[in-house]
Amino acid sequence: MIELRHVTKKFGSFTAVDDLSLVIPDGEFFGFLGPNGAGKTTTIKMMAGLFSPTSGEIILSGFNTATQPIEAKMTVAYIPDQPFLYDKLTGREFMYFVGGLFKMRKKEIREKVEELIEHFEIGDWVDKRTEDYSQGMRQRTTIAAALIHEPKVMIIDEPMVGLDPKSAKIVRETLKQKSREGIVVFMSTHSLPVAEELCDRIGIINHGRLAFVGTRSDLAAYKQKFDGKFESVFLELTK
Amino acid sequence: MLLHILKYKFLSFLKTTFDPRMVTAIRGIGSLLVFGGFGLVAYVGSYEMTRFIMEQTRIGLFLYHRFISMMLFVFFMAVNMGNIIVSYATLYKSAEVNFLFTKPVTFTQIFILKFLDNFLYSSSTLFLVAFMVLFGYGSYFGYPWYTFLGVLVGVLVPFMFLSACLAVLVLMSVMKVASRWGFRKVMVVIGSSYAAFVFLFFRFTNPIKLVNKVSMYYPNVDQYLVQFDPGFLKFLPNNWVADFLFFFAKGEPAMAMPFAATLLLVTAGMFGLCLFVAHRFYYRSWLVTFEVQASSNSVEAGRRIKRFDFRKESILPPQIESLLKKEYFTFFREPSQWIHLLLMAVLVVIFVLSVRNLNLGVRVTNIQAMTYLVLYAFGVFLSCSLALRFVFPSLSLEGTAFWSQRSSPLNLNKVYFLKFLIALALVMGLALLIAVASNIPFVALTERRPLLMYFGLFSAVWVSLSLVALNLGFGGYFSNFQEKNPIRIASSQGATLTFLLSLVYLITLVVIISVPLFRYFESLFLFLPFDFKIIVVPGTIFGMISAAVTGISVFIGMRSLQRDF
Repeated sequence: MIELRHVTKKFGSFTAVDDLSLVIPDGEFFGFLGPNGAGKTTTIKMMAGLFSPTSGEIILSGFNTATQPIEAKMTVAYIPDQPFLYDKLTGREFMYFVGGLFKMRKKEIREKVEELIEHFEIGDWVDKRTEDYSQGMRQRTTIAAALIHEPKVMIIDEPMVGLDPKSAKIVRETLKQKSREGIVVFMSTHSLPVAEELCDRIGIINHGRLAFVGTRSDLAAYKQKFDGKFESVFLELTK
Repeated sequence: MLLHILKYKFLSFLKTTFDPRMVTAIRGIGSLLVFGGFGLVAYVGSYEMTRFIMEQTRIGLFLYHRFISMMLFVFFMAVNMGNIIVSYATLYKSAEVNFLFTKPVTFTQIFILKFLDNFLYSSSTLFLVAFMVLFGYGSYFGYPWYTFLGVLVGVLVPFMFLSACLAVLVLMSVMKVASRWGFRKVMVVIGSSYAAFVFLFFRFTNPIKLVNKVSMYYPNVDQYLVQFDPGFLKFLPNNWVADFLFFFAKGEPAMAMPFAATLLLVTAGMFGLCLFVAHRFYYRSWLVTFEVQASSNSVEAGRRIKRFDFRKESILPPQIESLLKKEYFTFFREPSQWIHLLLMAVLVVIFVLSVRNLNLGVRVTNIQAMTYLVLYAFGVFLSCSLALRFVFPSLSLEGTAFWSQRSSPLNLNKVYFLKFLIALALVMGLALLIAVASNIPFVALTERRPLLMYFGLFSAVWVSLSLVALNLGFGGYFSNFQEKNPIRIASSQGATLTFLLSLVYLITLVVIISVPLFRYFESLFLFLPFDFKIIVVPGTIFGMISAAVTGISVFIGMRSLQRDF
């Protein structure tokens, strides 16, 4: 479960996230939308432990990220918006590296790496150093590495950027499958069709505040107030 | 076109330098104070050293300027080797070059831009040091005020520029040959050639023989005793600068001018040659980097099980094992890292070999104490350089991929102390080697009394701890995760500030040990009893200052890891 309690993040006098509260139960696929600079990545970075909130609390799988950060992170898979990797490591080495950080035994890592290489179809180039990878190759490696430790919570920032149609399909299906298995998925995206297709519930953030939170049926009802298109709802709410 | 790009680069520089935020302003004032202080120390040090050498040791103008020539040779080689490594990153690996190659800018213009960028960026601190040393030296000899600027612009800058031009020529040749022979092989050949050149220079210039020959002319030691120079010396730019300074100090500027003119002409010619070679080969050699990279990054090579391979079992806890292996592979797969370490190791070996067999025949307190202090300061200076180059950038080099550690269930103190221990092993290992080698002649001089050797070891341990803590801590405080080039990180403003703090620490240590050291040699040579209590207070102060530097730096470094990423 993910719980955000009155979370605020300020950078100097600028408030990037303003008193955000959310509860996302296990097994729910939550889509987080908003225009550029609305506070999506800041929220996600606070959940992943890269930013500390100015005020408020974040609870992941029952662990407070401020007081029990190690326990909280143990349950989380974080996939950043930019798939930065260590240039001098191969994709396989990066996956072993991440497995080690999650205190996995070598045998477990080995089995999981082979499974993920096959699942994401990255075997042809996973043993090359990542400095020669394309954006899509990096993205697939990052997603594979994030899943190595069987997380309970997935926090994903723009997962489809740079992926070819086939890879995007694999990623979509993987995320949906994980959600069905009871993992809570928190995904930020700019793609309205992807959000509509995958998410059980959608939140729209604008100027650091939630402008809309609702299930797909709530959204469908809301769309009727406009021209029946999600795009129109989004544009209206983020004006 | 060139001016257009330079204009925007200059504007960007101004915006970053004169950022109106409070933090930047405080940092700026701090830098100004430290730079100002350092400049003052360089000035006073240079003035006092010149005074001491000319008035106390009375070695004469010729010998003094031959020593200056030797120092300039080391300086020339340091600038040259530094530029080879930095140029590789700026000319061949920079994102800006990739961008400019897609625009209607000629290869030569791109080359000029990056060459100047490289030269100005990596040499700005050296300019300050060189100018203040010149200022101190020139003040002793009573230079008129306007000559300082003239000598800086007309002699010192061309001297450094010549070194940089030569570096770029060597680099472009390396890139050309590397596609056939392989990058590693070529770099090993170049490294060995440089080491051999340095070795041969000191073998043929032999300072001890020179001192003996010049001493025979005493008291006429201010003459231009050029007959003692080996023939090849007159072709070296360090000698042109030294001879220029010699005649200027002698009050014969007309005799000095031909040396400055030769330097200027050769520098201009070398820059012209650089432009010609760049016009013909820069783009082609830039393409070679892709071939070299592709040939060293194959799937087959990646599949082979290597030493310290991630797939191998380990007795270490998984997090420590992962971090250690990541450090190992990211270091040894980055040419600018291992090549620079190799070069510095060669420098240390040359120093150790030269010092170990030093013959300290004269039993004169002042001379032996000064020799000890100079050797000690040089040893610590080597440790300072090593720490700046390899320890300071170590946190920044985690780069944008640091998210993978920051978002994992990893106590960041573990990351910090692991880096600390790796750096300590490197710096302390070399510091102990230097301490042992530089104390061997003194142990022989003091009839096998081990006190100085014990002090050397005590100092090496404390100095290594402090320098590693200082560089890692401030490297974290000034971290720049966007910069991938370790040399640019190690020559950034924050790095320069850290280096200056290291030098302040070094000077403090030299001051602390100087009194007991003089007393020790005095008691030894005059057969007086030595009161060991004399070393207790300075030893305690030495330890306390080092402990304070270590503690404060570790605190600053660990705090920096708590910042938002």
